[in-house]
Amino acid sequence: MSPADPPPTPYSERPEWADVVPVAQYEKANPLAPILYTDEYKDATDYLRAIVKSGEKSERVLALTEHVIRLNPAHYSAWQYRYETVLALDWPLDVEMTLMDELADLHLKTYQVWHHRRLLVLRLGLPAAAPELVYIAKILAKDEKNYHTWAHRQWVLSYHNDDALWDGELDFVDVMMNRDVRNNSAWHHRFFVVFQSGVRDGEEDRERVVRRELVYVKQQISLAPNNASAWNYLRGVLEFNKRPFAIVEPFVKLYTVPRAEDSRDIVDVDNPPPGSGAELPCVAALEFLADIHEAEGRIDDAAALWKSLGEEHDTIRKKYWEYRTLQAKNSKATA
Amino acid sequence: MSASTVPPLPTLARDAHIHHVMQALSQIPAGMISLDSSRMLIIFYCVSTLDLLGALEEKTTPAQRDVWRTWIWEQYVAGPFGTAFKPGTSMNDSTPHLITTYAALLSLAALRDDFSRLNRPGVLAFLRACQKSDGSFASTPPVAHNTPQYTLADADMRNVYCAFCICSLLGEPAWRGIDVEKAVEFIGRCRTYEGGYGQLPGCEAQGGTTYLAIACLRMAPLRHSPEPEPRLSAQARAHTEHWLVHNQDAASGGFRGRTGKPPDSCYCFWAGAALQILEAQDKIDAHALTSFIAHCQFAYGGIAKAPGGFPDPYHTYLALAAAALYTTHLPPTSRVYASAAGWTLAPFDALLSGGAA
Repeated sequence: MSPADPPPTPYSERPEWADVVPVAQYEKANPLAPILYTDEYKDATDYLRAIVKSGEKSERVLALTEHVIRLNPAHYSAWQYRYETVLALDWPLDVEMTLMDELADLHLKTYQVWHHRRLLVLRLGLPAAAPELVYIAKILAKDEKNYHTWAHRQWVLSYHNDDALWDGELDFVDVMMNRDVRNNSAWHHRFFVVFQSGVRDGEEDRERVVRRELVYVKQQISLAPNNASAWNYLRGVLEFNKRPFAIVEPFVKLYTVPRAEDSRDIVDVDNPPPGSGAELPCVAALEFLADIHEAEGRIDDAAALWKSLGEEHDTIRKKYWEYRTLQAKNSKATA
Repeated sequence: MSASTVPPLPTLARDAHIHHVMQALSQIPAGMISLDSSRMLIIFYCVSTLDLLGALEEKTTPAQRDVWRTWIWEQYVAGPFGTAFKPGTSMNDSTPHLITTYAALLSLAALRDDFSRLNRPGVLAFLRACQKSDGSFASTPPVAHNTPQYTLADADMRNVYCAFCICSLLGEPAWRGIDVEKAVEFIGRCRTYEGGYGQLPGCEAQGGTTYLAIACLRMAPLRHSPEPEPRLSAQARAHTEHWLVHNQDAASGGFRGRTGKPPDSCYCFWAGAALQILEAQDKIDAHALTSFIAHCQFAYGGIAKAPGGFPDPYHTYLALAAAALYTTHLPPTSRVYASAAGWTLAPFDALLSGGAA
């Protein structure tokens, strides 16, 4: 139904609904923040209230709840009653999923749409999981950072925790990353898949995994140096695996100087340099280097970088950099 | 920023903002029908906006406020799982709802209700029924609809925050009625490598849910084992602070909700209030934040998510709440400008008054 269509015949004029006595919304004389309902919505919800009251579960209830949901996809009571009706009728779940494919697409940002979907996927079990990941990928192609959609993907993966499902995830992250390397949702998902969802077959050698992730994130930084998501990922990999930041110092330093060194023919995979068009120095790299200095006890070197951040490269965070300087000097004094 | 270069702030359009929320309290247009199940939250944003602007007594009569309180109490219902508030009148007999209950109690507090009608054990019984085995809370008790798994997916950080706020409001004994340690564990599982918190375990760090998590960790009674133990280690705190501070956008002064996203006035509150709870409010550029909010004001009242956008009560309330938290932290020169432009707001509780959209 498109918004241009004329409103359907009111339920009150439909012979197949003649046996139902509509229940008006009960509101006393002085409602607070009342919503100016359309006649169509008022009519449909009058019948929804009647149905919920009588407890009827039937095919026409599915049609009615769908109607209410199309008018207001956030109507959680309509969703809830619909779900109960689907179960009571033993309604084919694939038919319901087809409708959900359409509704999720239309109302991407509505929480209830994803909630209902999750309940159906839960009942459909493992066979529905792989097609679900395909569907989610299609939706994410339209709205690459949609929080509900990513959350749904993370839920499908961890709920089933099936190796075959996890297998495709890094490739999927690559597809999203190639589209937009600054998509933090994709970076987060990569971290979730690699580090925060258990250790799967073939990934037991954590040393190798850490090395692989470091090569990956460094490459991405070299292609787009001013990408906060990638720098956060680098920090995350090191912190999570308890590696000192200093192990990437040679790499980080390449991004802290105003101009890249002359391009070399042989690229060192451990230390890929910034691309030729890069805007340097990179603020995130300056900050990273200061953290390395601080951790190694070189407080004056760290303070010099914080000063340059606060006064020149990252003035919005001036007070934060001043605080970091003060804190580092104080803890050195008391050490 | 040196004093001479501080640009003056646009004036706080106080009367226009009051008009915006009074309008919503009297009628919401059909185009916003999706708010039908969250009227109580809208009421909370509107009433709290009036409270923040110090306009409740000035712009409403005692009789009007009494009518409002009466309407809110009319949504207070007793179910098989305790007593709490239902979302509004759209389903005549609908069951009580956790986020709604939070919004109703906070609205009543803003309206200086005496809570003599509140059945405290009843509310606590409701809260207990909403808590799940993983420590999180669902918005309705699971067995209410003969479908045990119905609320499975709806339990999230918003509900935990609302439950914790309600315990704080009910007072000390309430905390013993829920499993605090389990809930705190759930919050811990929502923490991410960036230093923020997501809506559910596995989800991306987001400003709103990070505020909710930080506020919960502050509200939760301390565990004594044998010494009082802080809920966040110094290291975890510094990490969260780092992420929050980096969400302030250099170009506009506004805050982003997630790394790499555009700034939005509501995240000025979520990040700003989280920093306040962490006692790190002096580590950000308060002038740039206030200036961003001032520029999000809509010409005919209300505040939008970004300059040039359309306003709504949610952004209006949260943006003003952020301004209330930060105008007292402005550097002296810009404070003079801010107060000349009307940006002096009532003191504000950063912990309980976040709302939970």
